[in-house]
Amino acid sequence: MNQTLVSYLSQYEFYDVLIGIFGKNEGLLAFVIYLLFAAAIVGLCATIGGLGTYAERKISADIQQRIGPNRVGPYGILQFLADGVKMITKEDVMPNTADKFLFYLAPMLALIGVFATLAVLPWSSGFMMADLNVGIFYLIAISSLVGVSVFLGGYASNSKWSMLGGLRGASQIISYEIPVTISVLSITLLAGGMGFGTILSQQQGTPIHWFIFHNPFAFIAFFVYFIGALAETNRAPFDLPEAESELVSGYHTEYTGMRFGFFALAEYIEVFVVCGVGAALFLGGGNLPFNVQFDIIPLQLFQVVIFMTKALILYYVVIWIRWTFPRLRVDQLMSICWKYLTPIAIFNLVGNAVWIVVFNGKSIADLVFGGH
Amino acid sequence: MFAQLLFLLSAVLTVGCAIAVAVTKNIMHSCIFLLGSLIGIAGLYATLGADFVAVTQIMVYVGGIVILMLFAVMLTGGKDFVSRAQNLLGLAPSMGNKWTYGIGLFVGLVFLLTNIKLLSNIMKSYPAKTFGNEFPSTVSQIGHLLVKEHVLAFELSSVLLLGALVGAAIIARPRKQ
Repeated sequence: MNQTLVSYLSQYEFYDVLIGIFGKNEGLLAFVIYLLFAAAIVGLCATIGGLGTYAERKISADIQQRIGPNRVGPYGILQFLADGVKMITKEDVMPNTADKFLFYLAPMLALIGVFATLAVLPWSSGFMMADLNVGIFYLIAISSLVGVSVFLGGYASNSKWSMLGGLRGASQIISYEIPVTISVLSITLLAGGMGFGTILSQQQGTPIHWFIFHNPFAFIAFFVYFIGALAETNRAPFDLPEAESELVSGYHTEYTGMRFGFFALAEYIEVFVVCGVGAALFLGGGNLPFNVQFDIIPLQLFQVVIFMTKALILYYVVIWIRWTFPRLRVDQLMSICWKYLTPIAIFNLVGNAVWIVVFNGKSIADLVFGGH
Repeated sequence: MFAQLLFLLSAVLTVGCAIAVAVTKNIMHSCIFLLGSLIGIAGLYATLGADFVAVTQIMVYVGGIVILMLFAVMLTGGKDFVSRAQNLLGLAPSMGNKWTYGIGLFVGLVFLLTNIKLLSNIMKSYPAKTFGNEFPSTVSQIGHLLVKEHVLAFELSSVLLLGALVGAAIIARPRKQ
């Protein structure tokens, strides 16, 4: 098992050359590798977040039979860069009565919470910053910082729209954390571990070995996870915290310039992260559909492509849902969470446990075709 | 070196934020400093190699308790509470007088010294002894302990939590007229 990125890279020959360059100082080399990789991932994810806004506008335009952004670059694809430049150069306005400290802190917390989750996101079997044995648990825990930031952004702005949006956002995020966590827990049961390395190694092979097709309960758990993830990232039909027809734009109404940009970026990256986690937990992540005996860097890059494809397909579904369904009311939102999703998730958890005991942990594919 | 750096950062974060919690006059800011302090404690757990406990700390306190506190502050507090904040030097009547502060300080010092004496043996043996390698990770070790040796406590606490949940639902329920 590769515990970290560095221990994965250390099996190659060029690692020894690098150690020679760094004068046998392995700690410094590990630090530099982590730094470079972290910079690469943050850059990649910021680009994905930026392209997410472009994709959102373009897909919504398609769905509503409009053209969408088409002026900046070919097919308007550089629109997100233009938006970014606009946000950076805009004046940073803060309301007079705002709580200065919390007003500045909130967007930072949102970005920290989202970027910290990237540390365990499994891009491929080797390219993982750290394969913690509490991987998915860490991810769920650290992403709750986003909930705090939404709440603080709403409070610190000292505006009634922001306040209502922040309250709604925080209550929604902590409510929907429960069905999501229980669904993830049932996958943890099947995999026998919380690390992404463990979870992915159990899903090798063709799509029938993915956890979504492991048993009927896991199949339902995927949809519970996906609905809950939509609500946790404040996406439609659960975008009540920023319901533009009632709350202007919710908790970030008073934010301008790059501080607003931070919130927007954090939201789009978080959507990508939950889609990636969904792909890794239920859809086999970056696993290749065939067995290979050797392990080379291009193969790892191929895994990254597979992982990204799965995650981005889910990303597309998220945007598609946003422009298809109307928004829920607050009471409907809470009743869906507590009266439907949570009982279903608990039922799934018990069902998965019973399945493991009855069929000795075998999936449907194993029972039908034999094997394992 | 990395472990020491992590320890120093976490310790500074924990203690600094804890002091800030007590000193700040704005209760919302106190809550946020408390968040920092609790994250620092998670860092301390991580320094000791207790990754599961560290993550649970973040999960429970950052994701649950602090947000709950923020909710409670927002739903109950107002601006009046800020202006009525009592400071140490003002010696507001409800906070006690010089004698009570003096006695409190003395008792605290005695308690601190006793604790240091008791804990000194444990401190000296740092870094903590690594447990036998029969378990691949701390997670599986905690799992084994929870469902084997401590299963009674585990189950009892789950019943207690369920009771609390049902009780909260009953209290929060709108009464029939």
